[in-house]
Amino acid sequence: MWEYVRRAAFSVLALFLISFLVFCLTHVVPGSPASVVLDPDTPEEEILEWERDHNLHLPVITQYKIWLLNTLSGDLGESVITERDLAGELADAIPITVEWVGLSFLLAVALGLPLGIISALKPGSWVDHIARVIAITGISVPDYWVGLMLVAFVAVGLGWLPAGGFVPLSSGLGPHLAALVLPVVTLGLHYMAVLSRYTRSSMLEALSQDYVRTARAMGLPPWQVWLYALKNALPPVVNVGAMSFGFSFAHALFIEYVFGIAGLSLALLNAIHELDYPMIQVTVLVITSIFILANLAADLANLALNPKLRKSK
Amino acid sequence: MQNWGIPRRYLLLLHSIGASRTGLFGFCLVSVLALMAIFAPWIAPYEPTQVDMLNRLQPPSWSHWMGTDLTGRDVFSRLIWGARPSLQVGILAVLIGLPGGFAVGLLAGFYRGTMLETILMRIVEIIAAVPLLIVAIAVVGVLGVKPIAMGPFTITNEIKIVVVLGFLYIPGLARVVFAVAAAEATSDYIRARRIQGVRDFTLIVSDILPNCLSVVIVWGTLLTAGGVLAEAGLSFVGLGVQPPDASWGVMLSEARKFIFSGEWWLLFFPGLAISLTVIGLNLLGDALRDILDPRHYTGPRLD
Repeated sequence: MWEYVRRAAFSVLALFLISFLVFCLTHVVPGSPASVVLDPDTPEEEILEWERDHNLHLPVITQYKIWLLNTLSGDLGESVITERDLAGELADAIPITVEWVGLSFLLAVALGLPLGIISALKPGSWVDHIARVIAITGISVPDYWVGLMLVAFVAVGLGWLPAGGFVPLSSGLGPHLAALVLPVVTLGLHYMAVLSRYTRSSMLEALSQDYVRTARAMGLPPWQVWLYALKNALPPVVNVGAMSFGFSFAHALFIEYVFGIAGLSLALLNAIHELDYPMIQVTVLVITSIFILANLAADLANLALNPKLRKSK
Repeated sequence: MQNWGIPRRYLLLLHSIGASRTGLFGFCLVSVLALMAIFAPWIAPYEPTQVDMLNRLQPPSWSHWMGTDLTGRDVFSRLIWGARPSLQVGILAVLIGLPGGFAVGLLAGFYRGTMLETILMRIVEIIAAVPLLIVAIAVVGVLGVKPIAMGPFTITNEIKIVVVLGFLYIPGLARVVFAVAAAEATSDYIRARRIQGVRDFTLIVSDILPNCLSVVIVWGTLLTAGGVLAEAGLSFVGLGVQPPDASWGVMLSEARKFIFSGEWWLLFFPGLAISLTVIGLNLLGDALRDILDPRHYTGPRLD
């Protein structure tokens, strides 16, 4: 158990470091945010006053301290471009991203696990070959390209589904889901490939153990042997799965860009293009936090699934 | 057989790659792409940035194998030139990550159980808890895509990406080196060499390091694939190679404007090029892993 407390502590430390790194970067780049926001011919005194309003005249460390205290007390500040409250912007963006990425992950698990298991049960068979081709293609082909092709051929060419955007649930369940299909499939296929690869190798490993040979020799029906092997093959898959869940929030970036979904990643990209430093800072932190939480969940799930770990710790 | 002075073990390695069908396929794909990148000026039928407004948006034909884009540039030529930034970023990022990964992994592995190991591996753990792609995007995004002049040097956007990726590769590489080095450090031959009075530095560099190479070759190949994907992705969202220079990500980003009007060749070929490169590197990496790192092998076949 102590091991997991330690890991949690390191995750928090990592979060601090990232926030500090991004904060410092935004403050060492030449050119003040004032030059982005204010008119080019604003008088010198007004620029200085604007910088004073935003605490930019203080040393970076002091500014970071102020920012950190504010953030910890729940005050995320406001965007320097739109002057909107950042907490409000995040409250709009986070549920969108969580919904569609969550659905795509469910799809990945629902397809990837069976694919990997079937592939491992009949290694060398044509099913295995097809599954492996799908897996290596799925992890190699860039998902945003798959997304673009789907838009070009399924949405525009055939006209079956909307080409992008996010339709809120309030406009009806049908249109809401229709708009989600293509992005969910695009990201889901990628992680289906990742998961099926891990499931296959973990399942093969389990099937090569002595207890499986013993069980077979004892004449147990094949499905029962497979079930025993699966129980032992799952913990590493759960671990990789939870990590992939975290990664998929980073990957979502390209897909939100392709489909124009107004989620977290699109907020980050827009903030980068507008040089909206507070917004960049906050979105990077939120995405990193989700990533770290997913990793922690992986550790905890492993602890629950693997009795060996429970005893030793 | 004449071996032209190539050490025998490299020939054996090539032979083993050839023995695995998928490995051979990956090796061929990667070789073709590497040759394409190196000889781009001689292979490409047109200049990659040569504008030809009379022949814009032409579908694939005999004079333009992959068609032309909005300003009449030849897609095939741009594709060949685009292999350069992709492979450059992929390979250079690994080369930057390697010294760091080796240094950290070897030291922590050799001095296992000491304070040094604890400190190094904790730092590795912290950096590894960070999503690589998002950090790369944030760093490039904040620094801006324009080249930065630093004394006599200009830091182009590509160099920024290479450095950030390379740095973020260090924890992963350090972990695999650490695993091998820690096992080697307690082995009998190292103990024997120690009794002979060999210095720690010599032990690390001339005994343990060579034994880590095979694992590093495997991971280096797989991470190169990651770098190619990262370069293409960053260029796609406008944070990588800057137009008008040719890069597969830039070409896809430009093709995005033509999704609704049906110029499919602008979209299809650059994505195919990225996919084939990454498939090639992944297949080669998998084959190398089976040959060089048998402990990771997915287990013997049962049937």
